[in-house]
Amino acid sequence: MNTVLWIVFLPILLFVIGTFMLGYSRKYVARIERRYGPPIQQVFYDIFKLMSKKTNISHGWMHDFAILMLLGGTLLTMYFVPVPGFHFFAQYGDMLVIMYILLIPALGMALGVGETANPNGSIGISRALMMLAGYDIPFVLTFIGFAMINHTTSMYELIQVQQAGGFAGWGLISQPLLGIAALIALQGMLGEKPFEVMVAPHEIATGPMTEMGGKFLGIMMIQHAISIVVELTIYINLFLGGAVNWFDYLLKLFILFTALISVNAVFGRFRTDDAVRFMWKIPLPLAIIGILFIIF
Amino acid sequence: MDEKITQRSVWEKISAKLSKRSLWMLHYCTGCGAIELPPTMTARFDMERFGINPMVTPRQADILLITGYLSVKTLKRVVLTYEQMQAPKYVVGFGSCTINGGMYWNSYSTMKSLDRYIPVETYIAGCMPRPEAIIASFNELINKIDRGEANSWKDYYNNYNFYKENQEHTFEGPIETYNDIKADAALFNIK
Ligand code: SF4
Repeated sequence: MNTVLWIVFLPILLFVIGTFMLGYSRKYVARIERRYGPPIQQVFYDIFKLMSKKTNISHGWMHDFAILMLLGGTLLTMYFVPVPGFHFFAQYGDMLVIMYILLIPALGMALGVGETANPNGSIGISRALMMLAGYDIPFVLTFIGFAMINHTTSMYELIQVQQAGGFAGWGLISQPLLGIAALIALQGMLGEKPFEVMVAPHEIATGPMTEMGGKFLGIMMIQHAISIVVELTIYINLFLGGAVNWFDYLLKLFILFTALISVNAVFGRFRTDDAVRFMWKIPLPLAIIGILFIIF
Repeated sequence: MDEKITQRSVWEKISAKLSKRSLWMLHYCTGCGAIELPPTMTARFDMERFGINPMVTPRQADILLITGYLSVKTLKRVVLTYEQMQAPKYVVGFGSCTINGGMYWNSYSTMKSLDRYIPVETYIAGCMPRPEAIIASFNELINKIDRGEANSWKDYYNNYNFYKENQEHTFEGPIETYNDIKADAALFNIK
């Protein structure tokens, strides 16, 4: 019964958290730019407005279907990532499964944008897949290293191990090289500056979102809100000792997100090749050295 | 007009209250006015306070801000852009040139009155208007949406023949756009 409640309400809960976090990030960036900024619930207004648009031009059934694949992939990932109080599905899918299904949204987006046949969209998708090659390799490597020390690939067990070790047991403290590599990869995964090459409004007109209007964009924003929380939660579970209760969880989310958007607010954007090169020059060697430390 | 407003259902009123807080703006700046927009967006006047953000593609935008004069060539692009936007969409004419031709009244190549080609929601008079005027007109637009009066976008679907005739008269021939406006109106049930 409890599990059913969690399954029903977890998407809504994470959506609300995610939208407030996005609103907070807009306010935060505005304050850094010495503006007043929008109200913190602004993203709710945006999503409501998009969902209540009167016309929604579709470019074909693949366009419609891919949007659902995008949202579905994110929701699927969300269920496999343990949050405090809910780890029912975590026993069926370990970290390998999560790494695998994390790619579904990107592929869904590629299919849908391909149907819209907009050149900006195609450039955006190719950039997104380039970035994926950039950040995914360091991220997977850090995870492999982490699984090697603890002899498990289950995310729930990794949380247990870290919490047993107290503060010193946190992944970021016990394996700082892996932690830092994953932190940089996380910035790329969230698509925040300086790795914002996929969206890049001033170059390629928001890339994959170019042809998305109305409800399509609304669903993409909902997906974005949830996926931000999910990706941050993966990092918290692997490197910040998971979370014992919801207060702990929200606090860690807040601090981690603030750190990432602070970087976002003051940096420009890398070129695509520079971004991938950076990912392979800094986080990748860090992760490899971290793994070598573990092996020897 | 009054009857229409009283006919609004509760849901439409709530919907207007919420969606007026989020308007995304596509600015079409081939006239002179583009220089007034950076101060409107940045720290001095900060229009993001009202939920108005610059957007880069017509599909995502709600407001089409036309700054200044349009020549025959740019008008064609504006019509194409306007038809790609998703309704409800609002056109804001910026500067005297969009209202009556302004100081280009005698020019052979510019359009005089924008609202003969696409339905315009609000105008900003002035040559050129200051950021205060832009913010004021956006506030007026927000109030209009709240009152349920910002319905000029429906004209384009309902009186499409009028607009198309004016466009074709100016372009001296049929204009090829990528949207079938009448089919869209039927498909999305716009009255
Ligand atoms: S109204 Fe004045 S400032 Fe604006 S386009 Fe016309 S001449 Fe230029």
